[in-house]
Amino acid sequence: MSYFSLLTVNGLVIGLIYALTAAGLTLIFSVLRVVNFGHGAFYMVGGYVSYYAIRSLGLPPVGGVVVAMAALFLFGVLFEILVMRPVYTDEVERKDEYAIIVTFGMTILLSNLAIVVFGPFSKSPPPFMAGTLILGPIILPYDRLIAALVAIALLCATTWFLARTTLGQALDAVSQNRESAAVIGINPRRMYTIAFGLGSALAGGAGALIAPIFALSPSMGDLPVVQAFIIIVIGGMGSVGGSIAGGILLGLAQSWGVGYLPDPNRALAYTQAFGAVLLIVTLLFRPTGLFGRVHLRLE
Amino acid sequence: MANGYTQRPSASAILQVILLVVALAVPLFGGAYWIHVGAILWYYAILASSWTLLAGFAGQFSFAHLMFAALGGYASALIVLHMGTAYFPLAIFIGLVLAIVVGALIGFMVLRLSGPYLALFTLAISEVFRMILIAEEQVTRGSLGLQVPRFFKGDSDVPYYYLGLALLIGSMLLMGFLLHTRVGLFLRAIREDEGATQASGVNTTHYKILVFVVTSGIAAIAGIYYAHFIGILTPNMMILPEMGIVIAMAVIGGIESLPGAVVGAAIVYLLSELLRDYGELRFVLLGLALVLVQRFARNGLLPLIDRIGRRPAAVSSRLSAPGGTSEKPHGN
Amino acid sequence: MATDSSGPFFTARRLSKHFGGIQAVAEMSLDIAPGEIVGLIGPNGSGKTTTISMLCGALYSDGGQILLDGSDLTGMAAHFFARHGVARTFQVPRLFRRMSVLENLIVPALSDMRAKRTEAERKAGEILEFLRLAHLGQDYARSLSGGQQKLLELGRALMLDPKLILLDEPFAGVHPRLLNQIIEHIKALNERGMTIVLVDHNLDAIRSVVRRAAVMAQGRKIADGSVDDVLRDPAVIHAYTGSRKANGRAAS
Repeated sequence: MSYFSLLTVNGLVIGLIYALTAAGLTLIFSVLRVVNFGHGAFYMVGGYVSYYAIRSLGLPPVGGVVVAMAALFLFGVLFEILVMRPVYTDEVERKDEYAIIVTFGMTILLSNLAIVVFGPFSKSPPPFMAGTLILGPIILPYDRLIAALVAIALLCATTWFLARTTLGQALDAVSQNRESAAVIGINPRRMYTIAFGLGSALAGGAGALIAPIFALSPSMGDLPVVQAFIIIVIGGMGSVGGSIAGGILLGLAQSWGVGYLPDPNRALAYTQAFGAVLLIVTLLFRPTGLFGRVHLRLE
Repeated sequence: MANGYTQRPSASAILQVILLVVALAVPLFGGAYWIHVGAILWYYAILASSWTLLAGFAGQFSFAHLMFAALGGYASALIVLHMGTAYFPLAIFIGLVLAIVVGALIGFMVLRLSGPYLALFTLAISEVFRMILIAEEQVTRGSLGLQVPRFFKGDSDVPYYYLGLALLIGSMLLMGFLLHTRVGLFLRAIREDEGATQASGVNTTHYKILVFVVTSGIAAIAGIYYAHFIGILTPNMMILPEMGIVIAMAVIGGIESLPGAVVGAAIVYLLSELLRDYGELRFVLLGLALVLVQRFARNGLLPLIDRIGRRPAAVSSRLSAPGGTSEKPHGN
Repeated sequence: MATDSSGPFFTARRLSKHFGGIQAVAEMSLDIAPGEIVGLIGPNGSGKTTTISMLCGALYSDGGQILLDGSDLTGMAAHFFARHGVARTFQVPRLFRRMSVLENLIVPALSDMRAKRTEAERKAGEILEFLRLAHLGQDYARSLSGGQQKLLELGRALMLDPKLILLDEPFAGVHPRLLNQIIEHIKALNERGMTIVLVDHNLDAIRSVVRRAAVMAQGRKIADGSVDDVLRDPAVIHAYTGSRKANGRAAS
């Protein structure tokens, strides 16, 4: 069954990256009530920042991930302050529409800017560590292993942060009820900014982790962001744990799908469509997702 | 009784008439290149304006709009390919009916969804359809492209230009008429507050499905026109960036204005043609424009033009919903 | 706007509603005679707004029946209730903010497919006169003051030509000067024969409008009778003083 274990291990690695991306998206959604349609672009920018940080600063590959996350955090904060403000200062009548358009516009801007600045062709950052781990039936290139480990570490750190630190709990409080949080002295606006920054940072980190494995290109965020949307809907728009579970499951399902479906052309297309079908089915029967604890609107 | 609607033409209405005259005259003075560009512009204008009705007026922010264009286009193309060009009318009819039926189905499925849920749902459905187009290449030729018989013989694009313009005007009249009636009123009310609309006695389900039916039909017409004009169909006609362009056109022109969407389409498409040499930089500017317009001129550019030409008692035409500026002559 | 006096008789029988694990309303019954005006009062969380929502079809009840003038409305959708003569205002006005005041008013009238626009606009004009808002017809609803919005909310309910109006906290958050105006409007409507149920915490205001009150506590009706009797009822006093003290004086 080594084909199976190969597929499973690869599926897990991809799934963890999905989970990381989705966790960022969930964080933004649960605190700001906004689906960040620009999330894929942040993922892509994270990959490029990491690449150039490694090349120009001579950092070790994992250092690139750190730089990418820091840069995306700053960018997310700036974007939130400059562009997202109107969503909660009541200047905007239709907040959902505003948020979708503005974040989607950011995607168009960043994706095309990447093509202009970096060129449309893929680049390959150096791997985290050369070589391959061979453990019994499992064959795993080291960079995938490291990507998986770093992703696990980041996910654990995020969960711990949300549950155990004051700031994390403040974020959680705002995500549950912004009015009550304000009453006990938490500044919701600052929380929105921080949440957006952190969510962007997670996306950037995911992009930086995947870049050595699958190469960089300006469109590398397009499919992962759709997967992230699928995951947060299925996992429940407010639940980080749900995003993690959903991400891993989706990664596994896609890996097995590509591996086992007979017709390769169909397999690729339909595997990608599989997640979308899951999303459709989920929303039809449970408009707030499977683990959802955040209701967008109760009417 | 004064009903507050057009007392005298607004600046934007005058602009629209001027633009129409210009549009009619282009093939007489412009070269083949501009006629071709114009013919494609009509495709985008029909899509942008019908999406505006769906998302701007009725509040259904759908990412599946291009799916209906593709559905209509591919259905019509396949029928003509397999049965011969004598069957054009049947092909068009079936493409249209198919899109309308699917539109009603989707309208029904999204009844309980709103905001980003609706956006994601329609995005997912659209992606599934696109995957099917790619995967089933026995039938659709997938990414290689489907050769489609054109409507008119000969190389000239002039008949397509006028056909596209006629389709645009026809769909604008249809949608404008709809907005003029109580249907338009109900759609706007639903967008404002669906619960309150129901409490006012309106069966919002009917109208939400109706707007999907109408706009998906119009999108299908655009797709059929496009298919038999360009002569090639690929799944790329419905990739997310294309949907983004349609959204951008609607937003920049004025998401609550049908003529605004047409102007937005013209601005976006013509600029992108003029700046062709700058490659992807055009789209960087598009993304930036989208963000800036939303941030600073939320209802698009056309209502801004209105404001410039505004006289104290003037209000914009019935095709635009009031919302560009909050004019309150007696308000608090 | 007048309802004919041999008209509506409204019955709600044993309505219940639970959310998650909480029983918000249990076995709520209410009979209303045509032209009556009834106050529905009780401490916070007693289930008043949930009851109102069920009475106008915005929420499905878990059981029980709703009958209006012989028609069984049980289980029907909200718009169906509205078309059959049950109008409702919301605690916080839910107006069509980016539509004009006039447009806000004609939507309910035009929900009757047979009604013509000119008719609807004429009726809207009358209602605007009645509410003393005639000069605001063209303004966007969002530019109205809080009190004006509440009046517009009422106007929209009236445009349905209702047999029964449910007013959810019509006095809440209203400037004292406007409060009297609203009380006058409600009295005027009732004098013309309109059947009204109103929910509010302002006991003084309620007493100046209604003669009969039903009291709810913890999802159940605990008293139903004349306002004075009901406010003297020990069970009612206990319900109020056991929780937060209500606005206005408790009966002495």
